[in-house]
Amino acid sequence: MKRRRFIQALAATPAAPALLAQQVQPSQQAPPAEASLRYSLPDAAAEPVLHFFTAQQFAALRKLSDFLMPPVNGAPGALEAKAPEFLDFLLSQSPADRQQLYRSGLDGLNAQARKRFNKLFADVDAGQTDTLLAPLRDPWSYDAPADPVAAFLRAVKDDVRRATTNSREWNLAASAGRTRGGGGALYWLPID
Amino acid sequence: MAETKYDVLIIGSGASGGMAAYTLTKKGIKCLMLDAGPPIDFDRQRVNKSAHELPFRGFGKPGKLSHVFQATEFNANQWVDETQVSYTHDPKEPYNWVRVRMIGGKSLFWARMSFRLSDYEFRAKDHDGYGDNWPISYSDLAPYYDQVEPIFRVRGRRDGLMQLPDGVFIEDTSGESECNKRFIAAARERGIPNTKMRTSMGRGQFASSFNLLLPDALATGNLTIVPNAVVREITVDKNTGLANGVNFLDRQSHREMHATARVVVVGASCLESTRLLLNSGIANSSGVLGHYLHDQFYITQSVQAVVPEARDGKSPNGFSGGFIGGGGYMPRFRNLKTKEKNFLRGYALDWSTGGSPDAKYFPLYGEALQKAVESCRGAGFSCTVMGEVLPRADSQVRVNKTVTDAWGIPVLHIQTHYTSNEFNMAKDAIATLEELCHTCGWEVLGRHDQMFPPGYSIHELGTCRMGDSPKTSVLNKWNQSWDIKNLFVVDGSSFVTGGSQNPTMTILSLSMRASDYLAEQMRKGEI
Repeated sequence: MKRRRFIQALAATPAAPALLAQQVQPSQQAPPAEASLRYSLPDAAAEPVLHFFTAQQFAALRKLSDFLMPPVNGAPGALEAKAPEFLDFLLSQSPADRQQLYRSGLDGLNAQARKRFNKLFADVDAGQTDTLLAPLRDPWSYDAPADPVAAFLRAVKDDVRRATTNSREWNLAASAGRTRGGGGALYWLPID
Repeated sequence: MAETKYDVLIIGSGASGGMAAYTLTKKGIKCLMLDAGPPIDFDRQRVNKSAHELPFRGFGKPGKLSHVFQATEFNANQWVDETQVSYTHDPKEPYNWVRVRMIGGKSLFWARMSFRLSDYEFRAKDHDGYGDNWPISYSDLAPYYDQVEPIFRVRGRRDGLMQLPDGVFIEDTSGESECNKRFIAAARERGIPNTKMRTSMGRGQFASSFNLLLPDALATGNLTIVPNAVVREITVDKNTGLANGVNFLDRQSHREMHATARVVVVGASCLESTRLLLNSGIANSSGVLGHYLHDQFYITQSVQAVVPEARDGKSPNGFSGGFIGGGGYMPRFRNLKTKEKNFLRGYALDWSTGGSPDAKYFPLYGEALQKAVESCRGAGFSCTVMGEVLPRADSQVRVNKTVTDAWGIPVLHIQTHYTSNEFNMAKDAIATLEELCHTCGWEVLGRHDQMFPPGYSIHELGTCRMGDSPKTSVLNKWNQSWDIKNLFVVDGSSFVTGGSQNPTMTILSLSMRASDYLAEQMRKGEI
C-alpha cells in the first residue's frame, strides 16, 4: 500500500489520531524503497467468484473448454488455465449481444445433447461431443454461421484458446520451456 | 502576458505540423505550435507486461474503443478515448475514426510504409475521366519527396515503376526466399509487378515528427511548443478578414486562452483540421469544406495460405537464400494500360511469407488443432489488400451541434460508405491472390473480400481539398485558403485523390512545399 493511502486508511478509523501520531514518527525517516516489495496477482492467491453463467451453462462451458483446448505435451489445458472461470468474468462485462451469443449457445448445446443423447452436454462422452461439435469441422468462412449454436462454437473456440494461452499458467509453462508464447509486450499506462 | 510575438501559429505536432515547423523555423520564422495532447516520456509511459498481468487477460475491456480495431489491451491507452472526443454517424454507416493526441501525433505509430504518388493520381481525371485532377503534377512535388525521404531514411528498391515513382532510398539489396521468388514469378506472368516494401527507417525506435522534425526545429531557437492545448476556434480580424490567432483550452484545467500570430497553419490531421475550420465558420465560400472524404479500404488477412513444403519446421525462415520468409509490395496494376469492366483505379498488395496462420482457419479443435497450428508454424502466406477509394462529394463530414466533446466543442458527424467500385475492386483482388496461391501450389486456408469500415486505414483524406478554382476547392495549389490568405492547411485533408499508396510521404512533402511558399511570401511581404 502506498504511504499516502495507508495514512488515509488509518485516518478513517476511530482510533486514527493516536495511530497516526504513532505512524508519523517513523515516516520522518527515509521511506522504504517500494521496489523491494513483491506483489502477487489475484489469480496466484485466490479463486474467482462466478457471476454470469447458470450452473448448467457453466458445466457445459467447462466440458467444452476441456475438449477444445486439452493439455498437450506439457502445455496447460483450458481447465488448468481457468479459462472457463475467466470467460465467466469477461462475459459478465461484455455487450448484450455477446452475452446472448454465449447463453443461447450453451443452452443450445445442452438442448441438443438432451435431444440426441438424453443427457446434458457436461455428461456426454467423447464420441457424442464430436457429434455435437460438427460445425467446427466446417471450412472457415469470414461470415459467422447463421445457426446460433454454430456461431457460438466458432466464438468460443477462439476465446477459450486465447484465455488459455494468455493465462498465468501458460506463461509459467512457456518460461519452463514446455510450450511457446505467453510472452510480454509493452503496456501503455493511462495518460494523465 | 505572452513572451514572444509569433510569425506563424501551427496547430498539430504530427507529420504535417512537424514538417511545417521544421521548414519554417530553419528560415528564421518564429513559430508557436499547439497540440491537443501531452508530451510523452516513452520510458516511463510504457512497461513490459504479460497478457495474464492485464485486467482482462489481453482481451481488452469489452466495449472500450469499439471503433479502434487496432487497439489491444496493451496499447488501449495510446488512442483517443471515444467517450472523451466522440463523433456521430448513422449506425448503418460505421466509420472508424482512429486518433492519437500526444506530441508527435500519429507519426509515433504509423506503419512507416513510404510511397510517392504518381501522375496516375495527380492527373487522375486526365487518365480515366473520373473526378478531378490535382492542381499540381508529380513534377511539382518530386523535389520535396527528394528532401523528405532522406530525413525519414526511407529504405526501398528502385524499380522504375511509373505508378510508384522511385525515391531517394537507402537501397534495399536483400534477396528473396524461394517461396517469394515463386510468388513474384507467378505475378509477373500476369503482368503484376513487385517491389520491396518502402519503409521509413527513422532513427532509434521512431520515424516520427517527435524525433526527426521537432528536435531540429527546436534547435533553431525559433519554435515554442505548447502541449495540452485543445484548439477550439481560429479567430479572424473583422476589419481585415485575416486569421489572427486561435482560442484554445488547456486539456486538463479547461482554462481558455487566446494565442496570436501573423499566419495560422493547420496540421491537426484531416478530420480534426476540417472540424476546426467548420467550428470556426471560415474558409468555406466554396461549400466544399467537409466533402470528398476518402481513404484506402483495407482487407487484412485477405487470403491465408500454407506452403506445404514448409510444414513441420522443414524450412526455417531466411530472407536471403532461405526457403520461406520476407515479403513484398505489389503496387497498383489495374487500369493503367488496360481498362477493367467494373471498377476504376486499382489496389496494392502487401504480402508476406513465413508467418503462422491463426488457429481460426483450421476446421479442427482439441489436440488435432494444436498439432495443425504447430505443423504450420512459419509456413504461412498472408496478404493485405489496400484499395483506392473514389472521392465523392456526398462522402462528407459536418458539425453536429447537439453533441460536444469533453471541452464543450461540437463534434463531427461523419457520413460515408464504400460503393460498388470498391466492392468490385476487392473481389478482383481476392480472386487474383487466390489464383496466384494456387499457381504456386499453396493450400488456401481462408479467403475473404470483406473490408473494414471506412477510416480503418487511418488514411482519412480530402475534406479540405486543393484545386484550381475557389468555387470548387478549399485550398489553392499551395495549401493556402482561397478565402483567407494567411491560413494554410497542410495535412491529408488537402488531397484530391489518394491512390492506393500510404499517404504520409505525400503529406510531409506537401507540408514542406507549402511552408517553403509561405516563407517566401512572408519574405516578400505578401503575407
